[in-house]
Amino acid sequence: MSATPSIPAAASSMPALSGMPTTVPPPAPGAPLAKDALLALVQERFPGAVRDAADAWDLTIIVSADQLRDAVLFLRDDRRLQMAMLLDIAGIDYLAYPGHRRARFAVVYLFKSLVHGHRVKLKVEVDEEAPELPSIHDLYKIADWSERETWDQIGVVFRGHPNLKRLLNHHEFIGHPLRKDYPCQKRQKLSVNDPMLDQLELRLRQLGYSVLSEGQITSMPTRGLPGAIDGAGDRGQLDPDLRQGSNAGADQRGVL
Amino acid sequence: MKVLTPQGDHLELLTVNMGPSHPATHGTLRIFTALDGETVVAAMCEMGYLHRGFEKMSEQGTYTMVLPFTDRLNYCSAMMNNIGFCKAVEKMFAVTVPERCVVLRVILSELSRIIDHLVCVGANLVDLGALTNFWYFFNPRESVYKIWEKLCGARLTNTVTRIGGFYRDTYPGFEDDVRKVLVEIEGAIKDVRGLIEHNKIFLDRTRDVCVVSKEDAISWGWTGPCLRASGVDHDLRKQEPYYGYETYNFDTVIGSTGDTYDRIMVRIFEMLESASIVRQALDRFKPGPLNTADARLSLPDRNRVYHDMEALINSFKLIYEGVRPPPGECYDATEAANGELGYLIVSDGGTNPYRIKVRPPCFTQFAAFGPMIEGTMVADAFGSLGSINIIAGELDR
Amino acid sequence: MVFKPVPPLPTAEPSLGDAFITTTRDAFVNWGRRNSLWPFPFGTACCAIEFMGVVSSVFDLSRFGSELVRFSPRQADLLIVAGTVTYKQAPILRRIYEQMPDPKWVISAGACATSGGFYDCYCTVPGIDEIIPVDIYIAGCPPRPEAFIEAIVQLQGKIGKESQKESKRVGA
Repeated sequence: MSATPSIPAAASSMPALSGMPTTVPPPAPGAPLAKDALLALVQERFPGAVRDAADAWDLTIIVSADQLRDAVLFLRDDRRLQMAMLLDIAGIDYLAYPGHRRARFAVVYLFKSLVHGHRVKLKVEVDEEAPELPSIHDLYKIADWSERETWDQIGVVFRGHPNLKRLLNHHEFIGHPLRKDYPCQKRQKLSVNDPMLDQLELRLRQLGYSVLSEGQITSMPTRGLPGAIDGAGDRGQLDPDLRQGSNAGADQRGVL
Repeated sequence: MKVLTPQGDHLELLTVNMGPSHPATHGTLRIFTALDGETVVAAMCEMGYLHRGFEKMSEQGTYTMVLPFTDRLNYCSAMMNNIGFCKAVEKMFAVTVPERCVVLRVILSELSRIIDHLVCVGANLVDLGALTNFWYFFNPRESVYKIWEKLCGARLTNTVTRIGGFYRDTYPGFEDDVRKVLVEIEGAIKDVRGLIEHNKIFLDRTRDVCVVSKEDAISWGWTGPCLRASGVDHDLRKQEPYYGYETYNFDTVIGSTGDTYDRIMVRIFEMLESASIVRQALDRFKPGPLNTADARLSLPDRNRVYHDMEALINSFKLIYEGVRPPPGECYDATEAANGELGYLIVSDGGTNPYRIKVRPPCFTQFAAFGPMIEGTMVADAFGSLGSINIIAGELDR
Repeated sequence: MVFKPVPPLPTAEPSLGDAFITTTRDAFVNWGRRNSLWPFPFGTACCAIEFMGVVSSVFDLSRFGSELVRFSPRQADLLIVAGTVTYKQAPILRRIYEQMPDPKWVISAGACATSGGFYDCYCTVPGIDEIIPVDIYIAGCPPRPEAFIEAIVQLQGKIGKESQKESKRVGA
C-alpha cells in the first residue's frame, strides 16, 4: 500500500464545481474536453441528439430511447470519451412541472471519465403510455440496481433487465411512490417479507449452477402479522383498499 | 437446496438469511446466501429496510427544510451531507461563498470525514473480533461531538450550514478545541495501529480477502476510499477541486490489492491526511463575513430591514418562502467520507424542490457486495461488509 | 405453533394477599430484573449511533447493569428500538419481539421509533407501538446519551413496581 503524491489530472477546461477560482496546471494528454467539444462529438455520431436547455450548468444531452444503448457504448468505448463510470440513473416525473409539454418521464444517466475527467449526462424522454427503456445492465454492473431503483420509484420498465424487482419499497407495494400523482402519505403495510428464494435461484443459475430441488425457508415469518397492526387507528392514513388482509386470527398458518 | 455445479457434481447447499436485524450488518441490510459448508456460493442482497422517503419528503418543503433530511443520509458524518447539498444549491445560483465560510466548511468536512472513518473502522474491527479498538476510536468521537454541540447545539445530526453560508459563527475557543481534538484523534489512531498493523490475526483475516479489481470497482461505480483501495487514483478533492482543496497539501491514499486490508488501512491513513488538512485550514481561518451578500440567499442586515422597504420585503420573502433557485436541472458532487455524494436537483423556480435525486456513494458498494463475497467464507464476508462502510440512511434514503 | 393464552401461574397472592412474603419476593425479583437489563439494540438508523455512544466508555451503560449488549433476542430482555422502522422492517421487528422470552421490556428510542419522526410518508411506520407494546419512549432526534440513561433508570423504576401476581404467561 502506498500513499502516492497527488498528480492532479487535467482540470483545465473543466470548470470547478463551485465558484472558487482554481490554480490549475497545464493540461496533460487526454485533457477533459470542453462542453462544446463533447456535444459536437456526440452529435456527429448521433445527429438527433440535442443539448438539454434545462441544464444550464453542465452538459446534458437528450437522446432517443432507440439510440440509448449505442450512445452509452459510444460514451464508454470511444477513446476521446472513455466514460468508464456510470455514477447514477435518475428518473424524473414531469407531471407537475409548470409549462412542461414533452414526455411525462425522463431518465438521466450520469457518466464520468476517470481518465480524462469530463462528465456528461444522457437524458432519455419516456412516454407515459409505454414507459420502457432498454436496459444497460450488461454494459455497467451498477446499472442493475440503479435501473431497479428507477423502476421501483418512477415506474419506467427496463427491457432485458434480469431481475426487475422492488429495491427500496417492499415487495407488496403497489404503485410508484416518486410519481407526482402518488400521495406522499399513502402508506402500504407489509404482511410477510419477501422470501427471496427465487432471486437466489436466479443468481445460482447465473453462476452456472442448476437447481435440482427447491430450498426451504426456515428463517422468515410464514404467517401474517396479527390483527393488532391492522387497527392502526388514527395514526397514519391507511388506504382501506390497500389494507393487507392480515387479520390472521382465524386462519393462522403455523410458524415453522 | 440441491444443485448441480457447473462441473457436474451434486451439491447440497444451505440457504441462510443474514439480516436485516443482525449485529454485523451495521444497519438494516439483508444478505440471503446459499452456503456450501462455510463458503458462500451465491449471495443476493436486499436493501430498502430503512427507506424513509428522503426524496419524496424533500419535495414537500422548502430547500432549507431539506437540510435536516440530508443530515440523516450519512448520519456518521452529517455535516458533509449538509455541505454537499448547500454547495449544489449555491451552484444553481452561481454564488460564491466568502473565504471564511469556505475554510470553515473544509474544517467541518474533514473533521466529519475523520469521525466517519473512526466509526467505520471501529465497527469493522469489532466484526473481526477486536473490540478494544472500538472504544479507542469512540473516545475522540465524543470529543468531536462536544465541539459540534458547542458549535450548533446538536451532537449527531447537525444541520450546521445553510444555503449561502452559516446561520451562526463559531464560538470563541473553537480553533483551540479543534487542535486539541486532532491530537486526541492522532493518539487514538496510533494506539489502534499499534494493535492491528502487525497483528497476525488481523492480517490473516483481511489480506487478500474479498479482492475487488480496478476494472470491477469502476464498473460497479465505486468512488471514495473503496475505489482508492482498489488502486484507482481518484479523489474529487484532487481531480475536480472545490473549496480551495487544490491549495492544501495532502496525499491521496491508494491501496494496492483492493482487499479488506487495503480498505481499512486507506481509511486510517486518510484520517491522518484529513487531520493535516484541518491544521492547514485552521492556519488560514481568518475573521470575515460568513454569509454571501447575495440578496437571493442571505437575509439583509437587521438595521436595514427596519428602515428600507426593499430589505423588509427581501427579509419577509426569504423567511416565509425560502430560496428559489432558477429553474433547471443541476448536478453537483462532493467527496464525502464514502465517496462521491451527488445531488441532482430539479428546480421549477418555486420554493420547493421539484425533485432531488441523491447519488449515495455506498449504494454502489452494496450493489457489488453480493458478487464480492461469493467464494469467500461467511466470517470473511462480514469482515469485508464493514470495510465498505454501508450506512443504511444513505443507502436507502 | 399456535399461541393461545393460558391461565396465569398460580401465585401465593390469592391466599396471602400483599403479605410480607409476597411483597418481599416481589422486591427481590424486581431488584434482580432491573439491575440486569441486557439490551437488544434493534438499531436501524442514527439513533443507533447514539446508542453506540451510550455503551462506549464516556457514558457507559454497563454501570446500570446493561453490561452485555446481546444480539440474540433469546438472550436479551430489553428491546431498544433505535431508529426509524419502515413497513419493510415491521414484520421483522414483530418477530424479534416475539422471539424474546418473558420478562421483556421495550424502549422506543428517538422520534422516529416513537412517532415516525418527521418522515411522514409512504414507507414509515408512525410509531412502533403500532407493532409492539412499548414501555418507555425517548424523545429526541437523536436523543442525547443522557436521555438513554434516564430512560433506563425510569424503566428500572417501573420494573420496581411490578408484582408477580400480575405476571402473565403465554405458551403453547
